[in-house]
Amino acid sequence: MKKKITIDPVTRVEGHGRVTIHLDEYGKVEDSFFHIVEFRGFERFIQGHPYWEAPVLVQRLCGICPVSHHLAAAKAIDQLVGVDPQDLSPAASKLRRLMHYGQIFQSHALHFFYLASPDLLFGMDAPVEKRNVFAVAIENKELARKGILMRKFGQEIIQAIAGKKIHGVAAVPGGMHKTFEPKEREYFLSGKDIPNIQTMIEWSQEIIEFMKGYHEKNRELLDTFAAFPSGHLGMVDDAGNMELYHGKLRAMDSNGLITLPDVPTDEYQKYFLEGVERWSYMKFPYLKEIGREKGWNRVGPLARINICNAIPTPLAEKERQAFVAFTGKRVNNSTLYSHWARLIEILHCAEAINELLLDDEIMSSDLVREGKPRLEGIGIIEAPRGTLTHHYQVDDKGMITRCNLIVSTTHNNEAMNQAVKWVANNMISQKGTITDGMLNQVEVAIRAYDPCLSCATQALGKMPLKVEVYNHDDKLVDERFKSN
Amino acid sequence: MNDLNQTEKTLFIGIGNYGRSDDALGWIFIDLLANRCDQYDFEYRYQLQIEDAELISKYRRVFFIDASHEPIENGFSIYECLPTPSGSFTSHQLSPETVLWLAGELFNAPPKGYVIGIRGINWELNHGISNEAEKNLKNALAYFQKWVN
Repeated sequence: MKKKITIDPVTRVEGHGRVTIHLDEYGKVEDSFFHIVEFRGFERFIQGHPYWEAPVLVQRLCGICPVSHHLAAAKAIDQLVGVDPQDLSPAASKLRRLMHYGQIFQSHALHFFYLASPDLLFGMDAPVEKRNVFAVAIENKELARKGILMRKFGQEIIQAIAGKKIHGVAAVPGGMHKTFEPKEREYFLSGKDIPNIQTMIEWSQEIIEFMKGYHEKNRELLDTFAAFPSGHLGMVDDAGNMELYHGKLRAMDSNGLITLPDVPTDEYQKYFLEGVERWSYMKFPYLKEIGREKGWNRVGPLARINICNAIPTPLAEKERQAFVAFTGKRVNNSTLYSHWARLIEILHCAEAINELLLDDEIMSSDLVREGKPRLEGIGIIEAPRGTLTHHYQVDDKGMITRCNLIVSTTHNNEAMNQAVKWVANNMISQKGTITDGMLNQVEVAIRAYDPCLSCATQALGKMPLKVEVYNHDDKLVDERFKSN
Repeated sequence: MNDLNQTEKTLFIGIGNYGRSDDALGWIFIDLLANRCDQYDFEYRYQLQIEDAELISKYRRVFFIDASHEPIENGFSIYECLPTPSGSFTSHQLSPETVLWLAGELFNAPPKGYVIGIRGINWELNHGISNEAEKNLKNALAYFQKWVN
């Protein structure tokens, strides 16, 4: 009897998605899909608003990475007032970077400690009641406590600059509206009030050691689970090193051949197209030259580490070298290595935050620059989950006439579908009984990409979990449900 | 920013949203209380999150004030809540009981916790609360002030 398995929605991710797996009468997987079923449409309703509202409005896309949307929009809006990234004042650039690193630090901490760590600590087959951060709090208090305090640190960096941890306002057209105060700097450096930035660096190193230990014990799992060839896309600086705020776009294929050779971000339209599928609201971006079938790329921590020549902070670079040594410097195409890569980025951000906190220029009042207004602006940054594009066009009154957002998770759409297919084919196909642990492996594969489905479709929704099994006549034959 | 020496203090956390009609009750309650009392600390939340466990661990007492969908006698209720682990799979939206439990589990210092629920009627996108919610809010505030005194 043919069956259709539905996981609706996928849990411990940001937003609302659904997976369906179609089995034939022998229990063999025929096909699988990762559907994004929510839609909000910021690209449309922002039209008609004045350009300066964009950085404030678009951050409502998300409660986890609003800073990323705020800054990508701000970079685009800078161009609308005639200010390119290199023309920003040094203080404004550094404050934006500080906020950006704080954002990546807190978002990665949230993902690893709150969402992913239960899978690593308790295993993919652990009982459902253990697969959450509350079980981590019981069984590994120190890990949970540090996770909370690390996330808090990143959020407070954001709050110091933007006034609020979530949906604050910091960037204005051509710069920033607030500088850093000496007492704020002291707060993060001294360690009197909260664990300081040095402690954050130490804890970041500790958690990488934890991951290395996990790798040592579970190398086969990490090497093989949801491993498949793909392109990798991210941003690099002029020297080809990892760059998270402003640089050039680089992509390479699964063998390390360059498919996008360090091109300016403003030229992204020359190189990318977006495909659509009838079963998902999320688009499928790909490199024009290679085509829809093979031109898609993973983005995010694993992709960034794959494509960069080096990481420009010493401790993180040392960890990158250890990381790439396991694949003999070949491109790493194994999904679960994303967690390790994410932790290396946490360390990089902590080091970068430290450098900026020690830089007196973050307290300068030279914050805003002006230029000759233009009708088009493009802002691309590396958000926690990957390359994020904001593109606006305005009329001569400064009202937005067109908006195009390519959100990180959208780039990972095909990769997440491939990951689901891998699990379906290797863990579910022809296995007889479908267990809860098997279905969790589907979620583990998706979760490794830290997808933000709300961002990807600009959506809003509750997140109950529903798993349904259908026969070939689409009749429901089994059902599991977890309420919110 | 809160320092680490606030163990004797009392914290009020309003949960809600000004843009969702009566869902603003928790926030308006602490707006009004903050105008009358400067010895307390106040926080606004759309929803409780894991980090709030660390925050409340620095206080002796914490009050969670939220609008209630359920009918309540006299339009409001005040009750002590006890630390309870969550059975929910989501970590994005925690109950006061779970936040208290996490504060005890991870930071060894759960404060005494109380929930003040105020009955709301309208929940649509809108600024301003309904007349009935306003009446319940006034009653809750008057009762609460007597109760703490």
